Amino acid sequence: MENADYIESYFNNGLSVGEKEQFEQKIITDAAFAEEVAFYCSAWQTAKNELAEEKKKRFAQIYQQNIAIQKPGVTIKLWKYATAAAVVAALIFGSYLYIKPVSPKQLADQYIQQHLQSLSITMSSQENSIQDGLNLYNEGKLQQALQQFEKIISADTSSFNAKKYAGIVSLQMKQYDKALSYFTQLENYPNLYSNPAKLLKAITLMERNSTDDAEQAKALLHQVMQNNLEGKETAEQWLKKW
Amino acid sequence: MDNPAISPKVSDQELINSLHGVDIDRRKGEEELFTRFSYFIREGGQKYSLPKEDSFNAYADAVLSVIEKIKDGSFRGLSSVKTYLYQVFHNKCVDILRKKTTNKQTVHQTAPLSEWTSQFSDTTKSIIQKLIEKTDFDLLKQKMSELSDNCRQVLLLWADGFSDKAIAAQLAYKTADVVKTSRLRCLDKLRQLYKQF
Repeated sequence: MENADYIESYFNNGLSVGEKEQFEQKIITDAAFAEEVAFYCSAWQTAKNELAEEKKKRFAQIYQQNIAIQKPGVTIKLWKYATAAAVVAALIFGSYLYIKPVSPKQLADQYIQQHLQSLSITMSSQENSIQDGLNLYNEGKLQQALQQFEKIISADTSSFNAKKYAGIVSLQMKQYDKALSYFTQLENYPNLYSNPAKLLKAITLMERNSTDDAEQAKALLHQVMQNNLEGKETAEQWLKKW
Repeated sequence: MDNPAISPKVSDQELINSLHGVDIDRRKGEEELFTRFSYFIREGGQKYSLPKEDSFNAYADAVLSVIEKIKDGSFRGLSSVKTYLYQVFHNKCVDILRKKTTNKQTVHQTAPLSEWTSQFSDTTKSIIQKLIEKTDFDLLKQKMSELSDNCRQVLLLWADGFSDKAIAAQLAYKTADVVKTSRLRCLDKLRQLYKQF
């Protein structure tokens, strides 16, 4: 776009009143220029729509994860008990942290216990096969869940969710190399508004705990922090304790 | 993974401030807003007899719309964020119901172009709007997906209102000028791909 810089200056209020008049006059007299300006607007609109779709995907993920606690009837009744239990748990957990240093493996264990023990089912009716895999996972049928997700991947090699869940199931089955392979593939989806690949990879390395794994995990956590990736808060907390 | 907790201590003003922020702060603010009132989805489903997926879409669209209104200053704080969001959500639900009852399919665009064209005089606005109406947005979307990952990412951040400086920080470009050059090249590439058809 020959005039992209000029067009941007107009929209960013970088032109004087006289220059703005010239710009608009050019739209009237120069059809090619007018088309260029219109394309600039259309491209922005298209990117904006794409962005909205990405954000809605992220919202859907959050909603799925929180859906269990979004049931007001149950939530209100259990709220006080849950709060009390959380306070007690926090006190126990806090004193434990205070007294004893936490190893990377322990941090990973805690994370898996808290976040990956069960996975929220998907909302979309278009993802029934994923939902089947998640149901199997939540029922503890890990081998069958893995087979289900791998079946989805073989049919659709671009399925981000199937790879993510296949990696998580592999992690739970202590098939660390396989989990790492799936999470490495997830890293190749840089356009996602939210991608937990690096955090999950770090957790897998912390769990495997072989030579250099801890250092590699640490490097990944630094990347999560520096690049503001999903799991930044977790990475920040862990690195403080490391 | 790391969902923002529902935090009643965060005031409307703090939430609004975070939505004006850059980088992770804004993203967290968006997620906070979505999460805080996501029980509307259930209520919308019951009140309007909408399937859960429709109610979710109405709510997600409402949240995105409110975020835009807060960012561009249209939301002036005359009501609480909750009241404002509920009103927008209500309108979205009614839209869906109307579409279902009249069986009309409309193009669902989340961000009108008016914020661009409003700067023009009436004559130029008319010319540009007519040209935009001729745009094949499906094709443009398809061509955008053919761009390199970096290009697409830069254009999405641009559309999200991030400055070149903020984009440089997020995507590890050396300077804002480098981002600007890359972004304009990406637009040029997109135009070439689009014009091939």
